[in-house]
Amino acid sequence: MSGASRHDRGWILILLLLAAVLVLPTVREALGSDVFPGFYLVLLFQILFWTAQATSWNLLSGFGGYFSFGQGAFYGVGAYAMAVVTGRQDGSWLVAILVGGVLAMVLALVVGTIAFRLRSLRGEIFALLTLALPFILLAVARLSDAIDGGQGVIVPVPEFPSFFDTFQDFVFVVGGLVAVLAVAVSYWMSRTRYGWALFAIHDDEDVAEAIGVPTFAHKMYAIALTGLLAGLAGAVNAMQVGFVTPEGTFNLRVPVMVIVMSVLGGRRHWAGPMVGAAYVTILQNRLQGGTLEGWSLIILGLVLAALVLLAPDGLMARFKRRRWLVAGIVVAVPVILDVTGLADDRVWAFAAGLGVAAIVGFLPVRKVAAVVRSVETAGSPVDESVAPIAEGRVVAETVEVRKHFGGLKAVDGVSVRVHEGEILGLVGPNGSGKTTLVNLVSGLLPVSDGTIRVNGTQTSGLRPHKIAHLGVARTYQIPRPFPSLTVRDNVAIAIMFGREPKSLSAAREEADEFLALVGLSHRAESLPGGINLHERQLLEMARAMATRPKLLLLDEALAGLNPVEIDNAVEVVRRIHRSGVSIVLVEHLLRVVNQLATRIVVLDQGHVLAAGAPSAVMTDPKVVGAYLGRRPDAAGL
Amino acid sequence: MRPTRLISLLAALAIVVAACGTGGGGSTTTTTGGDTTTTAEPSGSTSTTSGAPSGESIVVGGTLSLTGAFGATGNIHRIAGELFVERLNAAGGLLGRPVEWDLRDDESVTDNVATLYEQLISQEGVDLIIGPYATPNIQATMPIAERHGFVLPQHTAVLAPTLNYACQFPAWSIGFTPNEFIPNQLADAMESLGGIETAALVTNQSGSVSFVSYGRADVEEPAALEILPERGIEIVADIPYPPGNTEWDAIAAQIRSADPDLVMLNGLGVDANGLMEAMLALDGYLPPMMFALFPAPGPLLALAAEHDYGILSVSMFEPNDTVLEGLPAEAAEIAEEFAERAAAEGVPYTTFETQAAASWNAWEILVQGVEGAGSVDHEAICDYLHENGADLTFVGHVDFDPAKNNFWDTNQMLKQVQDGDWVVVWPEDRAAAPLRGPSN
Amino acid sequence: MEAVQAAVSGALQGSLFALMALGLSLTWGFLRVINLAHFGVILLGAYLTIELAGPTGLGPLGSLVVTVPALFVVGAVVHLLFDRFRVSELNSLLISYGFLIVIIQVVQNVWTADFQRLPGDVNPYATQSVRVGDLIFPLPTVMAALFATVLVMAMKFFLDRTYAGRALQAFGQDREIASAFGIDHRTLGLLLAGASGATAAMAGMLFTLRGTVTPDSALEWVGLVFAIVILGGIGNVSGTLWAGLLVGAVSGLVAIIWSPATSPLVVFTLVVLALLFRPQGLFRRKAAH
Repeated sequence: MSGASRHDRGWILILLLLAAVLVLPTVREALGSDVFPGFYLVLLFQILFWTAQATSWNLLSGFGGYFSFGQGAFYGVGAYAMAVVTGRQDGSWLVAILVGGVLAMVLALVVGTIAFRLRSLRGEIFALLTLALPFILLAVARLSDAIDGGQGVIVPVPEFPSFFDTFQDFVFVVGGLVAVLAVAVSYWMSRTRYGWALFAIHDDEDVAEAIGVPTFAHKMYAIALTGLLAGLAGAVNAMQVGFVTPEGTFNLRVPVMVIVMSVLGGRRHWAGPMVGAAYVTILQNRLQGGTLEGWSLIILGLVLAALVLLAPDGLMARFKRRRWLVAGIVVAVPVILDVTGLADDRVWAFAAGLGVAAIVGFLPVRKVAAVVRSVETAGSPVDESVAPIAEGRVVAETVEVRKHFGGLKAVDGVSVRVHEGEILGLVGPNGSGKTTLVNLVSGLLPVSDGTIRVNGTQTSGLRPHKIAHLGVARTYQIPRPFPSLTVRDNVAIAIMFGREPKSLSAAREEADEFLALVGLSHRAESLPGGINLHERQLLEMARAMATRPKLLLLDEALAGLNPVEIDNAVEVVRRIHRSGVSIVLVEHLLRVVNQLATRIVVLDQGHVLAAGAPSAVMTDPKVVGAYLGRRPDAAGL
Repeated sequence: MRPTRLISLLAALAIVVAACGTGGGGSTTTTTGGDTTTTAEPSGSTSTTSGAPSGESIVVGGTLSLTGAFGATGNIHRIAGELFVERLNAAGGLLGRPVEWDLRDDESVTDNVATLYEQLISQEGVDLIIGPYATPNIQATMPIAERHGFVLPQHTAVLAPTLNYACQFPAWSIGFTPNEFIPNQLADAMESLGGIETAALVTNQSGSVSFVSYGRADVEEPAALEILPERGIEIVADIPYPPGNTEWDAIAAQIRSADPDLVMLNGLGVDANGLMEAMLALDGYLPPMMFALFPAPGPLLALAAEHDYGILSVSMFEPNDTVLEGLPAEAAEIAEEFAERAAAEGVPYTTFETQAAASWNAWEILVQGVEGAGSVDHEAICDYLHENGADLTFVGHVDFDPAKNNFWDTNQMLKQVQDGDWVVVWPEDRAAAPLRGPSN
Repeated sequence: MEAVQAAVSGALQGSLFALMALGLSLTWGFLRVINLAHFGVILLGAYLTIELAGPTGLGPLGSLVVTVPALFVVGAVVHLLFDRFRVSELNSLLISYGFLIVIIQVVQNVWTADFQRLPGDVNPYATQSVRVGDLIFPLPTVMAALFATVLVMAMKFFLDRTYAGRALQAFGQDREIASAFGIDHRTLGLLLAGASGATAAMAGMLFTLRGTVTPDSALEWVGLVFAIVILGGIGNVSGTLWAGLLVGAVSGLVAIIWSPATSPLVVFTLVVLALLFRPQGLFRRKAAH
């Protein structure tokens, strides 16, 4: 995986696209209208317009996984900005486009501020919330005479710069620039922390926060860009169409189209929406011919259903392995058809190229044997020679912390301190409040009452990623790796969002060190779905360590392992501890706790039952009673 | 997994094919080289053949909303156009050459319209174009036609001041100021009855009709809201509603308690049916008089006839005997042939009326322009039409005045449901029967 | 008085949309399938009613004898496909959208794009009304309310009181646990999807009692029906009915106090507020513990 060269390849493609957009009007003129009819420009404009729309939708909804039906609202705000500024106010087209983009962005930010502030917000609810948006704007546009009043607004042909030969050339170039901008933004995000934050949010938002991703901010960046780009493209399209009506603008057509395009093309890839836009636009155009009267929607519907069924991850995922072959087909088939005169219509020739490419995409791929890169632990990022730091100052403490769920007191007045260099065993029967306490310290849940301090800083009210940056990392009882990222990237993303932000390539390099620490180097290229439970738990530890914590909360990190695996894991925990990290070990297995912990705290029914040295605590009659299920008399607090 | 996927898809396909096989009869489109064209076919009808056309075809390009929100009326225009082209070719074609109609489906989406006309003109190289159906689509076509200098006959956009391309020729005219003409004509008719003093104004917010109630949003101009009171009809309720309205019960209740002498419903499609049914459900309430602007004629006729209610609407043409008497003999023949075709396709309301007549007008304007110019040169066609006007089978002679954006003196009439039929009742000199007032 | 009349008529009208929403909500909540094709099935219900009611002499109510079983099968067959391919929630939306437009085109090919309605002699209900004191209610909306109430009560009984119903609820919450309990979720899923198709048959029939239908009608229902599903809480059958009544009443009230043009604005703003403050739906009881 040569990150740098692929990096350049993407930018080269985007520059080529930009150049094509800029020179096409000149080329068109040189070729003459017999070879290059004006219609090609219009069709290409449509592909570019949908590329911009679908790509903009994909930032929040594809990368980030927050499905939005509000695209029609952002698009419509842009379209009406153009209509009102140029049609009603005699403003210039440039002002209109900028107003459209900015207003749509403001609307997006308002939606984001309201929606993303909700803790209970699920993706489903966000989708439905955005579904209502176009309907509200539709009613507003109809009711307001200043915007529309219901009758539609004519968008006049603007005064465009004189170096454009025709209006169509002008609109094409402006629309093309917006599309290139959208694709460039998408590509840039997919290579930087802005995109990777969204990938992490898409896969597991809680975990993303816990490793230090400021999820709210990144969702807001994404929705703002979605709104901005959709508004810009909407404004340009209004110029092209020349007439806007409320019902033609604020409807479900735009959201449905962008969803279809992005899903067909592939939501994870920056170019996916562009590929989808090309396919759907060409297919639709070909179906509008009267030949297919009575069949067009049937074909469109079946093609859509079949493609989603057969390639649920999108065409880009299919093309990836043979991108040169596919690119060759898309170019060669139309050229051959055109030169040989087999197709009397170049759009059909182009459509044929896309069709053949899609079929090739579905041919089975010869499985390349996974290269097992077994890198031996050459050097560990932590200096293991250093002896554990003597127990010293307090790293974290909880003071009289309570957490109530309705009437249930999960944690009820717990005060615990963790000292530097210590491995604190946190034990207790099921439901005693151990995991809740971990969730409180890592900030996943807000406390009902009491104080938590990390390195002297009070954490109540802080988002989990802030707490992560204070030096708290955690693992999950049931491992929660980001399923769509490789093992290496799971670790790299934690490095990218550490206290000191790092670039993707730097983070990837550094990630290998943490994989070595837990002995997972040979799995670096695998997806989490392809490794076993033990390896996933090691991955959790590597990812947590990659945030460079001062305190590591291991929530039953050894649950479900066989004895050999447990011994290995114990060794890894020791290695981590030797590097100077304080550890809270939440564990069921008393053998492990006894082996590792320097001090033990026992919880029962939300209270601290006992605390102290392992040998003393384990023989405490109250503790024995709690573990045996007998209610100790002394516990009647 | 793979074989089962394939089988499921094939099964789905088979079901669809079976379903489609049962319908869609009567289509006359044939395919040549990837384009759809309607060519001369000896039809089963009685049209006379005078010299077969020969030479290269003249291709007319156009879109219609064959699917989507405008589909119901879009298909009426398709049937009328197909009939026209067939008769034209049977009668010797245009300039002695056969005519082909390259028709595309714009799916009722305005964005598609501009692309498709650009495609027809610059890629398919059609000789002529004919407009799409529905005002927004026509508005989107006009700039394309203007850019290429193509003559644009268009069927149904009537808001004259906004249609300012010099070679745009309307096939349906309510004069230059429809927002004044329609309320005034209605007021004239009401005046003749006497006793109509109050009205409820009920308005669909759609751009196709709301200007008749309120004028355009960005221009100060009189419309029904001002004109009716000036004409002595007080407006006792003014109720705007959105397209796709579901609140007919609330509107009906409001009207009944306002108790107007007249309901002016500036609506579209089946709005009038929705309102009438909701009013009838209020103990059979119906206002003394009711007018519906652009209704779907079939469903409203059926409902009004069931309740023997003389609802009024507008019309450019109805196949009433008295109307047909004043027109060329062909008119009746065309109306009959149209009805046969529509029935063969399974269309429920087959009468050749305003919409179909508008379609016919548009084709006649185009054909007469070409014949007058003696070529498919657009400048010449445009000039010829400006100078000579056109003789329309269902309207008579019309003149195109560029100062009025080519909108001709209207022949707009009022029609009324009488004894199970739409009957022209106004103006009196063209009426097939006298206007009936509130009898019961 | 006028306001009360408008609110109650609106609520009754809303029950028709609740009936349309019911099937969508059920398959969404319990089978994790967002089935847009449901709108197509309702459309089929409407057209089949028009086709059968007059010529066969069955009348609109009698035609249910044919349409309910027929659309039960359609609903189940569509679900068979989702089940076979283990389609994800999102992809089910796209695939069923594909089916929806296929159905719309097939309907247009069979019945043309022109407006269709039940003639008055077949459908005497259209203009009849029920009088309660000073209030008058159109009979078709009263019938819609009755159908919706009976169906919701039956569904509620099935889900809460029968073993199969509880199994479905378990399945809706956690598929893996449910299959561990030995629930035959496939058969149950097919039955539920079929039942959803059957409700579409009734909704389609009730729509034709008072409406004129075109192939495009299916798309016009989407906004309002989704609003009701959301407000009621996905998978909450009685919530769906309440939401339909509420949306209808609010819409009717706004129509009479301001204007019908303002109704959509108020209704969809209500949807947004409801989502923000009661994301689990307006009518979901608090969790038991």
